[in-house]
Amino acid sequence: MAQVQITFQDVNVGGKAIKLIAFAGQLDETNVDNEAQKIYQVIEEMAEPNLILDFLDLEYMNSKSIGYVTDWYSKVMSKNGKIVITRPRVNILDILKVVGITQIVTVYENLEEAKASFGAAVAPAPEVAAVGATPNQTETPQA
Amino acid sequence: MDATNTALATKPHVDESHPEEHSVLNKTNAVSKETTPVKISIIIPTNAYFMSGIRDFTMTVVQNMTGFTEQWAYRFQSVVDELTNNAIEFGSAPGKDIKVTFVSIQGKSIEVYVEDTGTGPNKKTAAEMEAFIEERKNVDPTTITSIRGRGLTQIVSNWTDTLEFTDNQQGGLTAHVVKNLEAGEQL
Repeated sequence: MAQVQITFQDVNVGGKAIKLIAFAGQLDETNVDNEAQKIYQVIEEMAEPNLILDFLDLEYMNSKSIGYVTDWYSKVMSKNGKIVITRPRVNILDILKVVGITQIVTVYENLEEAKASFGAAVAPAPEVAAVGATPNQTETPQA
Repeated sequence: MDATNTALATKPHVDESHPEEHSVLNKTNAVSKETTPVKISIIIPTNAYFMSGIRDFTMTVVQNMTGFTEQWAYRFQSVVDELTNNAIEFGSAPGKDIKVTFVSIQGKSIEVYVEDTGTGPNKKTAAEMEAFIEERKNVDPTTITSIRGRGLTQIVSNWTDTLEFTDNQQGGLTAHVVKNLEAGEQL
């Protein structure tokens, strides 16, 4: 059975309260339904939910996990909040791209950029790179 | 070192002129580099608990027995995970089995068959699955707002060269995918 740990940290950027949510392990069919509820609870509790999803230690996510990310995005936007992703591994960024999530949710290569995006306007890198990415590893699939 | 350990550490005399000794001692666990297909089947209970094991095995097969890059090993891990999950969720009832078969040809291709028994509560026919894929494969993925519906139509379709379904003899569904090794995808 896959294991995942989700940790929450409060961060303040320019007076704005942000929840840094770090994922470690694997999100799959065995755990995502339960784990997703923790994020919904955070969104529910924050008046203006500003979330950074830190995927540095996330090793695997399935299609349903990605579906939850889009649903969190919708709920956050409906409350005038913001949600970004930071530090995805090469394989995670690859799957986020193939399902088109990177066109909806901004992905930042490093945590500082992700934090800064909630303060002063910081444009994301033109081509988002994954942690440890090499040019070939972030290409669009040929299949 | 005692006498036993000494004996174990000593290389035995090998008479390679003897045909049996020669054949046995030349066997290794190394995967053949020949282009003959290697077929491996795994049968798991209808339970998502076992899927992380299937993912690990997929990585091992693709990385060691095909010649695909690590990127494609990860991609195929997702492909197999999505197909297996569909079989568990829709095709086979709890207590029944799912059969996952890998057919790899070094330097050429990887194929996977995922067979369910058709005993699940939401059984689909091959024709229904083909229609489902056809209907949704050209949908702009950014317009999908549901939590479900990206596995087959986005991940599996985009990361395989062949995706087909057949109604199998057990009354269930067999999903079959093929990914051919192309230039630029090799190690």
